[in-house]
Amino acid sequence: MIIEIGHYALVLALATALIASILPVIGARRGDTALMDLAPLATITLFCLVAFSFSVLTWAYAVSDFSLLNVWENSHSLMPMVYKITGVWGNHEGSMMLWLLTLTLFSALVAIFGRNLPDTLKANVLTVQAWITVAFLLFILFTSNPFMRLDPAPAEGQDLNPVLQDFGLAIHPPLLYLGYVGFSVCFSFAVAALIEGRIDAAWARWVRPWTLAAWTFLTAGIAMGSYWAYYELGWGGWWFWDPVENASFMPWLAGTALLHSALVMEKREALKIWTVLLAIMTFSLSLLGTFLVRSGVLTSVHAFATDPSRGIFILAILSFFIGGAFVLFAWRAPQLKSGGLFAPISREGALVLNNLILTVSTATVLTGTLYPLVLETLTGEKISVGAPFFNLSFGLLMIPLLLAVPFGPLLAWKRGDLLGALQRIYVVAGMALVAGFAFFYAQNGGPVLAALGLALGFYLIFGSLTDLWYRANFGKLAFKIAFARFKGLPRSAFGSALAHMGLGVTVLGIVAVTTFETEHVLEMKPGMRAEAGGYSLVFDGLREAIGPNFTEERGHFTVSRNGAVVADVWSSKRIYTARRMPTTEAGILTFGASQLYVSLGDPMTDGGIVVRIWWKPWILFIWGGAVVMMIGGFVSLSDRRLRVGAPSRRAKPVKLAMEPAE
Amino acid sequence: MVLWIVLACFTAGVTALLIAPLMKASHLTVADGEDEAAVYRDQLREIDRDLGQGLIGAEDAGYARAEIGRRLLAVADAAAKVAPAGRAPARHRLATAFVILCLPVTGLCLYVTLGSPGLPSQPLEARLANPGNDMALLVAKAERHLAQNPNDGAGWDLLAPIYFRTMRLPDADQAYRNAIRLLGESPQRLAGFGETLVATNDGIVTEEARVAFERAVALDAGNMRARFYVALALEQAGRAAEARGAFEALARDSPPGAAWASLVNEHIAKNGGAPLATAAAPQMLGNPSAEDVAAAKDMSPADRSQMIKGMIDSLAAKLKDDPNNIEGWLRLVRSYQVMGDATKASEALQAGLKTFPADGEPGRRLLALAREIGIPVEGATQ
Repeated sequence: MIIEIGHYALVLALATALIASILPVIGARRGDTALMDLAPLATITLFCLVAFSFSVLTWAYAVSDFSLLNVWENSHSLMPMVYKITGVWGNHEGSMMLWLLTLTLFSALVAIFGRNLPDTLKANVLTVQAWITVAFLLFILFTSNPFMRLDPAPAEGQDLNPVLQDFGLAIHPPLLYLGYVGFSVCFSFAVAALIEGRIDAAWARWVRPWTLAAWTFLTAGIAMGSYWAYYELGWGGWWFWDPVENASFMPWLAGTALLHSALVMEKREALKIWTVLLAIMTFSLSLLGTFLVRSGVLTSVHAFATDPSRGIFILAILSFFIGGAFVLFAWRAPQLKSGGLFAPISREGALVLNNLILTVSTATVLTGTLYPLVLETLTGEKISVGAPFFNLSFGLLMIPLLLAVPFGPLLAWKRGDLLGALQRIYVVAGMALVAGFAFFYAQNGGPVLAALGLALGFYLIFGSLTDLWYRANFGKLAFKIAFARFKGLPRSAFGSALAHMGLGVTVLGIVAVTTFETEHVLEMKPGMRAEAGGYSLVFDGLREAIGPNFTEERGHFTVSRNGAVVADVWSSKRIYTARRMPTTEAGILTFGASQLYVSLGDPMTDGGIVVRIWWKPWILFIWGGAVVMMIGGFVSLSDRRLRVGAPSRRAKPVKLAMEPAE
Repeated sequence: MVLWIVLACFTAGVTALLIAPLMKASHLTVADGEDEAAVYRDQLREIDRDLGQGLIGAEDAGYARAEIGRRLLAVADAAAKVAPAGRAPARHRLATAFVILCLPVTGLCLYVTLGSPGLPSQPLEARLANPGNDMALLVAKAERHLAQNPNDGAGWDLLAPIYFRTMRLPDADQAYRNAIRLLGESPQRLAGFGETLVATNDGIVTEEARVAFERAVALDAGNMRARFYVALALEQAGRAAEARGAFEALARDSPPGAAWASLVNEHIAKNGGAPLATAAAPQMLGNPSAEDVAAAKDMSPADRSQMIKGMIDSLAAKLKDDPNNIEGWLRLVRSYQVMGDATKASEALQAGLKTFPADGEPGRRLLALAREIGIPVEGATQ
């Protein structure tokens, strides 16, 4: 019975979403508080209903209730409990439920933490969120309903796709969705502002925490997805410019641009129209990503089931929201007043450059992703736009952007002093060059460009520290005073420094791995030895093993350095019994930030087996950098200024701490 | 019934929650700009702090203050222009009615179309604890037991023939191997194992299968099944005379009216002899004739599967003309499932259920088969 109640809760959620999408917007138009008060209440109710429905579905997975078609298709009673639960979103219907849950969660958070918003804006934002919710509820109920039943129920399920039977499934989709769907809030703020026809600097301040939160989660989600693909798929790569990856990367690029343009808008009330447009575009790209991944247009591990009606439904949602928002934009934007002026060389100017490059690179990735699809639809010709295109176009675009990053925070608002900023930077650039070359010599080998690439990474790291250094005035003031000033800096300053530093760390990792990586593909028999990255691996042979729902052949390798055994590693090929599907489980050994990656290939007739061994120097920097960016995001989110309007937070601890020092 | 009461209470609760704000006294509000002003005042304080820390110069701070001051004024201006328009409605009759109607109407209409109110939850543990006569559940239960105790030979011995009947051939193969390894050879196990191998190889008696059948015959000369396949192996090896001898011996030793008699006779004829056994029951509908099996031997895999498809199609056509044949339907459903065509299998199942409704004995056999081989049976409610 509980399952039917869960299904009904979902239906009731649709009714609630309908109410929330009609009444509050009327209230906002008339200024009627009773109708507007309905918005937060209905939004929170909506979240509770969806959360209940989602937990019922999770329960059905946990107890293996195969009377649900969805559970029967994607679960197996012998799977470990953690995969039974993560399996909820390891399929099309369940992942749409997670999408919906995240969407209603964000709406509820706006309802709860939006106390500092004007009543009408809040009601309108929640209304737009409710519209999106209605669209996705309709989509789920009519094309992807996870509560469809089977009678009589089969005795055993068809198992979860083995590639997804991994702890990564517990982390990657929720984080990614928190990012993807988080941008819906920015979209709703933009549409709400356009509906009201009024937009000003305060709007940018209100939307900032939501952009930051979404951006932070999306960063983490993409990084986690990349790491998961790296260790699970056994190809040894960490980014493939796969359309599905691009689908998540485009909102990230646009979201990064939004984060920066909203700063200009908040400080100077400039770039208003552009920022609103970016907010709309970012979520549009999220929706486009959902369409590409869920419609079955692309074949990948993410496209669970292909059903044309679903694709058309999502396309309709896509056209409605993107089209509607752009029509509204075209109608309202000319009525918006433009804001403050600024000189080309200024903080604003640097941020405009940032936006320009990020937008162009988003367009590049979009072109590279959609062009093959469009071409195939129109002419039937199949082409693939791969890494060479992206590496060249995207890579070239990134270089000026990365060079400009440390300048931004150092330039003053309105009109900056480039010479002054240059003076501050050249020390950093020199240090970075030295560090880059030092790193290069330590690794010994590779083209000179790599040293420059490494220097670029260090330049970003040192550059972000410079900003904090100069703000605290460490060079000129006594250390104690400077340190007190350092502690008094706003959290957002630390946040942006950390985010820029994280970018530098990622660049370091990318350059190091691309340049110094070694790959060996060899046929090994027990007792044979291979060398990689200064380590030698001895293959000890294969062994059979049985897991809860798979059997595997595990190869054991003993790893030694200079004759001393330092570690051992298992690498295996699994067969998942229910689907008779093989997977490879790479053996990965971590030494500092570098990794040794061992993957088994096909067995040979003479008792040997093909083994691929990669030495990946400094590869963890790639994801470590993303983690640093994420921490930067959270630090920035904790900034007191984002909570303006919450009266209890009006205290000024920073100033008090400052007084004795001055 | 309980479900409907719960759903009704659920709806009523949500409705009551959502009409609460509409019941309160309402007033009209205008955008007074107070929230914007709070942000700008905070920005002013920020400038003071930046100035104090020497992050910006006094002149820049002055400009910035002026700019923010203009924003504050603009907000105040805008607020002054909009005055409250009229009085707030005392009651929200229309809105309340909308909320009260929307929830139950949307909820009920959609749920009645989409839901399956008659179906209880069915957690697997509870079903396994009380499996009744559901063969699939009993198999699942045995599988779980064996996953914990993989050395229980009796369990494998029990499951192996069931796997074979439901055409889960790789599982049957594994189960027979385990049973033989743990319990030792017996004529039944060896013959069953051999038969699994033959089925896996599209009717060809492979070397491994032949060895198994010969050992079975060595253990029990009365195992007719094993003897049949030994003879078939000879026939497939092209040793017609020996094959004929073996088939003739088989026919002689068979009880009169044995089910396999006609099949054996065909093979005798095929290897150049005269029928011996007393033919009894006509050949089962849809079974491949001996010629078919023999022909299949020389075919390429593609041709062979083409032939099998042809046989299934002719069975389907026969059943269309004369649907009153429960054995035929059972065979058709199973054949489609073996061919990996789940859609057709379930179509055949539905067609069979039209002639033999689920409440009769033959209909129940069809459903039991469906459950056994894992064809989903759509609930009557959908």
